[in-house]
Amino acid sequence: MATVARPAEEMPRPNIPSANIQLPAVRSYQQVNDEIIATLTPTVAWFIGLGIAITALLIGIGTWIYQIYMGLGVAGYNPPVMWGVYIITFVFWVGIGHAGTLISAILYPFRAGFRTTIYRCAEAMTVFAVMTAGLFPILHLGRPWKFFWLIPYPHWRFIWPNFKSPLVWDVFAILTYLTVSTTFLYVGLVPDIAALRDREANPIRKRIYSVLSLGWRNSDREWRHFTRAYLFLAAFSTPLVLSVHSVVSFDFAMALVPGWHATIFPPYFVAGAIFSGIGMVFTIIIPLRRWFGLRHYVTINHLDAAAKLCLFTSLVVGLAYITEFWVAWYSGNKVEQEYFMNRVFGQWWWAAWIMLTCNMILPLTLFSQRLRRNTTWLFILSLFINLGMWFERFVIVVPSLSHEFEPWQWTTYAPTWVDWSILMGSFGWFSMWFLLFIKQFPVIAIAEVKEIVPPRLRTHAATTDINVSGQHVDYAPETPGEHE
Amino acid sequence: MRGVLGVFRELDSAVDAIAELRRSKAGSITVYSPTPRHELEHALAHGPSVVRRFTLVGGLLGVTFGYWIAIWVSEYWPMVVGGKPIPSWVPYTIIGFEMMVLVGALSTVFGMFAVARVPRLMMTVGYDPRFSDGDYGIWVECPPDREAKVTQVLQANGAVEVRRER
Repeated sequence: MATVARPAEEMPRPNIPSANIQLPAVRSYQQVNDEIIATLTPTVAWFIGLGIAITALLIGIGTWIYQIYMGLGVAGYNPPVMWGVYIITFVFWVGIGHAGTLISAILYPFRAGFRTTIYRCAEAMTVFAVMTAGLFPILHLGRPWKFFWLIPYPHWRFIWPNFKSPLVWDVFAILTYLTVSTTFLYVGLVPDIAALRDREANPIRKRIYSVLSLGWRNSDREWRHFTRAYLFLAAFSTPLVLSVHSVVSFDFAMALVPGWHATIFPPYFVAGAIFSGIGMVFTIIIPLRRWFGLRHYVTINHLDAAAKLCLFTSLVVGLAYITEFWVAWYSGNKVEQEYFMNRVFGQWWWAAWIMLTCNMILPLTLFSQRLRRNTTWLFILSLFINLGMWFERFVIVVPSLSHEFEPWQWTTYAPTWVDWSILMGSFGWFSMWFLLFIKQFPVIAIAEVKEIVPPRLRTHAATTDINVSGQHVDYAPETPGEHE
Repeated sequence: MRGVLGVFRELDSAVDAIAELRRSKAGSITVYSPTPRHELEHALAHGPSVVRRFTLVGGLLGVTFGYWIAIWVSEYWPMVVGGKPIPSWVPYTIIGFEMMVLVGALSTVFGMFAVARVPRLMMTVGYDPRFSDGDYGIWVECPPDREAKVTQVLQANGAVEVRRER
């Protein structure tokens, strides 16, 4: 029986082990320096983007000043719904930060090769997302200038915070997370800033880079202690990621409100946070690799591997959604059951179905390898994930408070223009910092990329490569996606 | 401080030069590389980094402080919450854990800077901007009478440039 051979492009693509992703289009250390440092030159499009971000931020600041002058009543709170867009957005931004730490810190000890070219971007995203998140509990205060009362310090009133309160745990968790993430980002940047310093011709910029690089010289002594310290920072960040969003979930789970008082919350929140952060990584990295001409660094294989992680976390989140319903049914608690019915088929059906569609149903498309390797679809999906994860927090916060134990308390909630303006301002704040970062510092880690680029050797031909163990091996036949 | 600096294009040339310099006990060797490489680490055969001690001490201090501040404040300002003991170790574990991570991470970075001698205020001698680009460097700190021998070893192993500095 005759068979017809399928064209090569239609053949199933090999499943690339994520630890063995290579960069065959990057041939030398000098090329890495040349191409990544070239991305630092500002462009007209960058200035336009920065202008839009600053405008959004100014609108947010103006609205906040209005809110301080008029009082929190302008923000759409409707008793007993006294947590609204600010707390939703706080949880949203903390969650965004988590994928950054997952990619930069947790995947580092596991030697996942696909993290190398995307981790700097993800780590910067983490720092700026946590900086944004930290603003929201302050925005949510009636007297925002008193926010420091949550920090334990000796003063004349002899008043101390209540360490049994989840809100105080939050302060410790978020401040630790911000400090450690910023430290991790900066420590990783030091060798790259030294590379910028050595290339810089402008004396003022050279001086600034010299100070920021702390006189780094790439010596064996520096690298030996740097690699060990970096590993320990990654090891500290790994449980920190799990603890921070667990603590954020305690803000809800410690209360007796229906829909909140569940032991499933910490893992549910952590999985959701990582899922939302991967969505934001796609939203940022897919346009960036195109605009910066870095498609041979962040290849289709990198995106494919990250998409598998996205699919996995989506499945965990989906399982958590289903488990919540099962727990409500199995508990026999009428209030809990009534609340979940109201959430999905009653008052808040539209929000719940946006959440379920964006976070549970659409990511199932990532089972298709063709769609995992389609950057247009990944970008569109990432926007849906961002939307869906914001609505997940809306569905957690608002339906519970608006539908508590007593029917006479049941009410509704609608954000006002003040809420939306401050939400927009938060995106402006985040985007402004990120845009400033990508034109001052390398968006791909120069020193770490060099670790997976074959070094120049006397005794090996130029067509050899190194595997993840650092051994020199011949290149396999061209792997699809590596040049894209 | 005086010595000889050799610039290498190839990694294996630098590794061979290090091995020969160590055999000949030419002087104190510092190697520069654009990225950390196991081959160089093995050739230099340094012991494990002592940064881990800073991490351990910082982590222990942090967790102790975290528990202490929470327990001390509770005793100072006693308030019964949910019928639980005044110092409740379960919720205070959160504070202890966060402080362990915070102080442990910061002391790790402090330790790295201290033992790696960073920040360095002056670049002094024995460095070339090419070492952050793509080349490898070997700086051998040695007395004047050994400079000729070191220069010969560096050149014989493929150094593209050798210069004396002080």
